[in-house]
Amino acid sequence: MPAISVDTFFACSLMVLLVLSAMAATSKLLYPYINNVIDSSLAERYREVSKYLLLNGGTPSNWGQNCRANPATFGLADADSDNPYALDIDKVSRLNSENLYAMSYAQIFTALKMSDVSFRIEIKPIFDVTINLTATFQLANETSYQFEILTQKNGIPIQVELKCYAIAEDFLETSYAYASNGESNFNITIPNDVGGPVLLVAFAKATYDPRIVSFGVYAFGHDSTSPKPKNTFLRLSPLNHSLTTSFVYSGINLSKVYALTVDYYSILEQTASSNQSATYNIPHFLDSSPTLLVATGWNSTVFFTEWTTYPQIPLQIGANFGTSTLSNVFAYTYVSSINSALYECTVWLGGPKE
Amino acid sequence: MNKQNRGQIRIIEAFLAVLVIFSSFAVSSNLTITQNVRKSGDLASVGLQALMTLDSDGSLGRFIDYRNWTAVRDSLDTVLPVSVCFNLTVYNDQMRQINEVNISNGALGGQEVASVEYTCASQSAMFRCYMIYLQLAVVE
Repeated sequence: MPAISVDTFFACSLMVLLVLSAMAATSKLLYPYINNVIDSSLAERYREVSKYLLLNGGTPSNWGQNCRANPATFGLADADSDNPYALDIDKVSRLNSENLYAMSYAQIFTALKMSDVSFRIEIKPIFDVTINLTATFQLANETSYQFEILTQKNGIPIQVELKCYAIAEDFLETSYAYASNGESNFNITIPNDVGGPVLLVAFAKATYDPRIVSFGVYAFGHDSTSPKPKNTFLRLSPLNHSLTTSFVYSGINLSKVYALTVDYYSILEQTASSNQSATYNIPHFLDSSPTLLVATGWNSTVFFTEWTTYPQIPLQIGANFGTSTLSNVFAYTYVSSINSALYECTVWLGGPKE
Repeated sequence: MNKQNRGQIRIIEAFLAVLVIFSSFAVSSNLTITQNVRKSGDLASVGLQALMTLDSDGSLGRFIDYRNWTAVRDSLDTVLPVSVCFNLTVYNDQMRQINEVNISNGALGGQEVASVEYTCASQSAMFRCYMIYLQLAVVE
């Protein structure tokens, strides 16, 4: 083979290699930009869908209040409010699976009418309230409990005013505290003749904006066995300013049922009862606060306290995107109001990967 | 130039071409500016919604009326996501800056900054209008 042919072969090979490398490099360089364009348009679409969920009330506009109705189109906005991102207290409560009248994911998915969009909705207070029992002092006639309450948003302390309620058998005590650096210590003293367990409810209101409210609940034994987990004795379903208490056991006798907010509390009036359930009216309180509903009663010889909130938060409903690699998932966080109190609402949206 | 030298020149040419083109790729990849429009748009949307929420019951206008800059900063800090840092400037209707202290929860530094412009009307008996400029950035 002549030397020139070998030279030409090498030169051609190099040129082919060059062209292939150029093609590979070009596609590698352009891929993020092309992908970003697809992602941007998808993100924009999902952003509009998330806004639609929170700014539109659905049809009928009062589907939340009617426990027998499912919406024809889905939306969580409060039809009676002029403020954007104001959510309906009953529509939100019907997203919580603890509620007797909760909608399933399949029902919401059908009402949303977007077959290529999966979603997840989370609504929770803007900051967290953590209650820790730090010490117990038993005296002759009474017992004193020392608590530490932490108010934080992702570890950052929030300056708050605290209002605490301690509820036991025929016993309700309130106390106030102030947490300037997101931490407060206070004592509760309960007479020994009061039957336990005791439920401690702590409302925390941001000092500079009373609409930013959160709460924490802590149950502890007082001259009694440890409290049972939530929903052991009753299923509480607040809807349309009415509380339905469904009995888990047949031998349950309800005593007092309380409605608590930051500034007010009330003992609820029973409106109907049967051997399976009882119904109570929930008053319309004026302050910007979730209403904490506490039911006390007896299961044969065991005293219990059960609680829920109205709106029934925190809640999570929808698809689990945690380990999904098959879909593009986008999350959008909004500050929403329910009855003037502010909450954090996160909407995750995803669909098939393009 | 004889035939053998012509072949060698072609190889040298090819090597030079490879060098030129690969060096151009190397240089151009460093020159490209990554623009994440979506991130900036999201951030502006989050900032605008935070200001609207604080203003929905007149709190924002009231804080500015009373020059309570700590309340403005703390309210925004609570409402905005934890990973977002901000810097807020308030102007009166004559476009004079009225916040004498810095309303910020951290330096915006070298991050990509989104800006939001918001008009806030005070709900007090005397009508006052404020222009609010909010700059936001995600803490990396």
